[in-house]
Amino acid sequence: MTRYVIRRLLQAIPTFLGITILTFVIVYSAPGDPVLQQTFDPRISGVAREELRHRLGIDQPVMIQYLNWLIGNGWQKDPDVLPRRGILRGDFGNSLIEKRSVLEMIGERVGATLLLTGTATLIGYLLGVPIGVYAAVRRGGIFDNASRVTAVLFNAIPGFWLSLVVILLFAVKFREWNLPAIPSGGMYTLTASGEKTLHLGDRLIHLLPPALVLATAPIANTSRLMRTQVLEVIHQDYIRTARAKGLSERAVNFVHALRNALIPLATVLGPTITGLLGGAVITETIWSWPGMGRLFVNANFQRDYPVIMAGFVIGAVGVIVGNLLSDILYGFIDPRVRLE
Amino acid sequence: MLTRNKWASFFALLGIASLILSACATPTPQVIEKVVTQVVKETVVQRETVKETIVVEGTPQVVEKEVTKIVEVEKVVTPTPTAIPQGGFVTEVSFADAKVLNPILSTDNPSSIVHDLLFGAALQNDPFTGELVPDLTEGWEVSEDGLTYTFKVRDGVYWSDGTPVTAKDFAFTYEALMYGELDSPRLSNVEYIEEINLIDDTTVDFVFSEVNCTALPDLGLGWLPAHMYSPDFSDIMENDLNTNPTVTNGPFLFREWVKDDHITLVRNPDYWRGAPHLEGWIFKVVPNATVGVQQLKTSEVDVYDGIEPKYLVEMELQEHLNLFKYFDDGYTFIGFQMGDPDDPQPRLNEDGSVNEAHGVHRILSDVRVRYAITYAVDRNAIISKVRFGQGAPLEADVLPAIEWAYNDELEPREYDLEKAAALLEEAGWADEDGDGVRECHGCLYAEEGTPLKLNLITNAGNETRESICLILQDQLGEIGFEVEFEPMEWNAFVGTLVGQAFDMCVVGWTDMGTDPDDEGTFASQNDLPDAAFNFNSYYNPEVDELLKQAKTMPGCAVEDRGPLYRRVQEIIYEDAPYTFLYVPRSILVYNKRIGGLDPGPWKFRHNIHEWYIE
Repeated sequence: MTRYVIRRLLQAIPTFLGITILTFVIVYSAPGDPVLQQTFDPRISGVAREELRHRLGIDQPVMIQYLNWLIGNGWQKDPDVLPRRGILRGDFGNSLIEKRSVLEMIGERVGATLLLTGTATLIGYLLGVPIGVYAAVRRGGIFDNASRVTAVLFNAIPGFWLSLVVILLFAVKFREWNLPAIPSGGMYTLTASGEKTLHLGDRLIHLLPPALVLATAPIANTSRLMRTQVLEVIHQDYIRTARAKGLSERAVNFVHALRNALIPLATVLGPTITGLLGGAVITETIWSWPGMGRLFVNANFQRDYPVIMAGFVIGAVGVIVGNLLSDILYGFIDPRVRLE
Repeated sequence: MLTRNKWASFFALLGIASLILSACATPTPQVIEKVVTQVVKETVVQRETVKETIVVEGTPQVVEKEVTKIVEVEKVVTPTPTAIPQGGFVTEVSFADAKVLNPILSTDNPSSIVHDLLFGAALQNDPFTGELVPDLTEGWEVSEDGLTYTFKVRDGVYWSDGTPVTAKDFAFTYEALMYGELDSPRLSNVEYIEEINLIDDTTVDFVFSEVNCTALPDLGLGWLPAHMYSPDFSDIMENDLNTNPTVTNGPFLFREWVKDDHITLVRNPDYWRGAPHLEGWIFKVVPNATVGVQQLKTSEVDVYDGIEPKYLVEMELQEHLNLFKYFDDGYTFIGFQMGDPDDPQPRLNEDGSVNEAHGVHRILSDVRVRYAITYAVDRNAIISKVRFGQGAPLEADVLPAIEWAYNDELEPREYDLEKAAALLEEAGWADEDGDGVRECHGCLYAEEGTPLKLNLITNAGNETRESICLILQDQLGEIGFEVEFEPMEWNAFVGTLVGQAFDMCVVGWTDMGTDPDDEGTFASQNDLPDAAFNFNSYYNPEVDELLKQAKTMPGCAVEDRGPLYRRVQEIIYEDAPYTFLYVPRSILVYNKRIGGLDPGPWKFRHNIHEWYIE
């Protein structure tokens, strides 16, 4: 097992480098840079702009900039440039726009993102699993067909569209028609004195609409996966043995069928964890949810390179660690699988 | 406080002045508006002590005694003025969160809005005339040679931790930009400052390396509290004060900042202009205009500055909202690339000589084509349809509001399709193959047969500009142009614009301020691809010379500079590097429950300490 883990981690290094080089080059090739958009004022001279670019180190060729990002720019010995130690030494740099530590900025928002995506994933599992199981057990029935159509629908509807429609209908229009309306965004209502409302109900009404919209994809995927799995498991020999033994239908379903059917969920754990961190970018922007997603969207528009790259690093690490975790978990859960 | 000597000289001056003035002729009587106060008479019961002579009973003694008597007297009672209600929060809407609450590190508008309420500055724009007036200073003097500005800092202003605000804070703020090696876009504010001399607690000198009539606004950045930072400027960039500014001197104090959500400020009871009546002010981030407008209607937010003109009618119909319309200090225009978009070159070489390799635009370098485009655009229709009437036409580069420099004698180029077509024919562009698009037949710069095809860019998401581009595409199509319109994401747009890789663009300037200096957009030294803003590759040595003279005019008197700028406008009008579209009129919407607002075209939060909730 240990050898397996070590081997996977070693394999992860070229993956990591590959992801970061590719994303770095793509981001830096986009036209426009953070200096131009910060100094969009004809009264600021060209000389001042070039000086700022030099100080931030963005006037160098792309590969040199990548090297500086990775291991720092101490080797260049240029006193005019902002000193960087490189991400391999833990220095993710400062935001070019907010001028403060990138890690600090991310840290402030991680909680909000995890709350939203965590809730969405939880709802996805809590609803998806029973729906899938029930559909499989009552195969061919109305519930089965309805749930499959709904699942396809949920997969097909783009999340941002659904968010906008929900806000337009339940927040804006309902308010115009004087019906009880949901808030149009944010994490909480500000009271008249600018304090955050600590009321649980207020937090829930702000959390649930975006979480539910986000949960449509997990519900669809989980229910379809569970349905397929349960169908497969139900026809196995050991289920027939359990019934022959005289166990109740309930015991057969929950104790034997479900536990075996849940195994593949472990395999999707990896991508699920990655999705937890980065999967709500657009939803957060539309619902004004102060999470990491909005941070990265804004950083992209403003060409805030250190923040963008930090986002990609988190994503890359998330993907690598997530996949590794799900492989290990799979090995633990299913004795038929041998990890080597 | 003035010292004893200063008090003595003050009174001496006063005495002399009054002697002189009394010798003057009597001034003509002025009509003075008197505020009539209601005179109310009431009967009031009072005790009065009176001396009485009394004969003591039983004796022949006559004594004077003090006796208290109860008397009824009629008195005039002045009515008690109703007190201004205290308390309440005002919420203002924004579409972007602030980035950094440090006046020397920020350039974005939301950050400025918030830190302007926290940090005072040396000077500010008068809300109604735009003129530069003192804020934390009492005034300034310029030396004979125009190089030294001496500022007198106001007494009696304190930071929120009790430390007095002195000239040291002013000097420290600018020295940080000069010597602090900060990576701030504000470095250009100190480009021409040679040295800063701190004379004493209330006096500071700024010495410039050359006469610069546009230098004063650069000295208007908010002041940092010098005592909170290390004297070697090393702890400014990563300071916690950039996100938690706890030491401030403005009308409000910082309470909290939840990123991408809101910033809360609360009243500063020690504000030197007087404690605000409001309890606080909230800056709320809202995702888009639809939500913003809805929140205005339900009074979830109180103030929305810069609402789009398409909401004008809807807002006028709201009973609880007031509107204030004002002209922006900026304009929207169509820019023409006059260099070669496939090979952008700087206009000048490093040594200042003209770069021979600078290209020419195959179509737009011919001024007749530029005139044709101007005549083919119905600017009045654009103002009335796209801006819903909220705009005023413009012919050259100086705003009508800058009266001392504005040239009002330029003939507007009215919409005239025939004239446009005739100009194109004259310039050698005719449609001989009947496909609706003209080609070059004897034109000035392009090869024979080149189609009259241009690309047009603007920033995506700006509905007004996108609509203008579509109209342009249509109207130019009618006279034989083929226009390819490409809305671009903001950063890509700015990159392409300043990179000079476009044919035509629709873009606008804002925050131009009160000085008509346009070197940034029209001087040849600013034709620098990827770095500076003469992205049209405009080149006219006479304009370069005039702008330079006006900027370095000794004495900086408007009588001297005005005629120069008027001549520049004439030349720009003749050369037509832009088609000037309009000066936009912006709309400020605010809830009627806020009293005390007195918005001017330049500022509306200037008297925020006098606002109250009714």
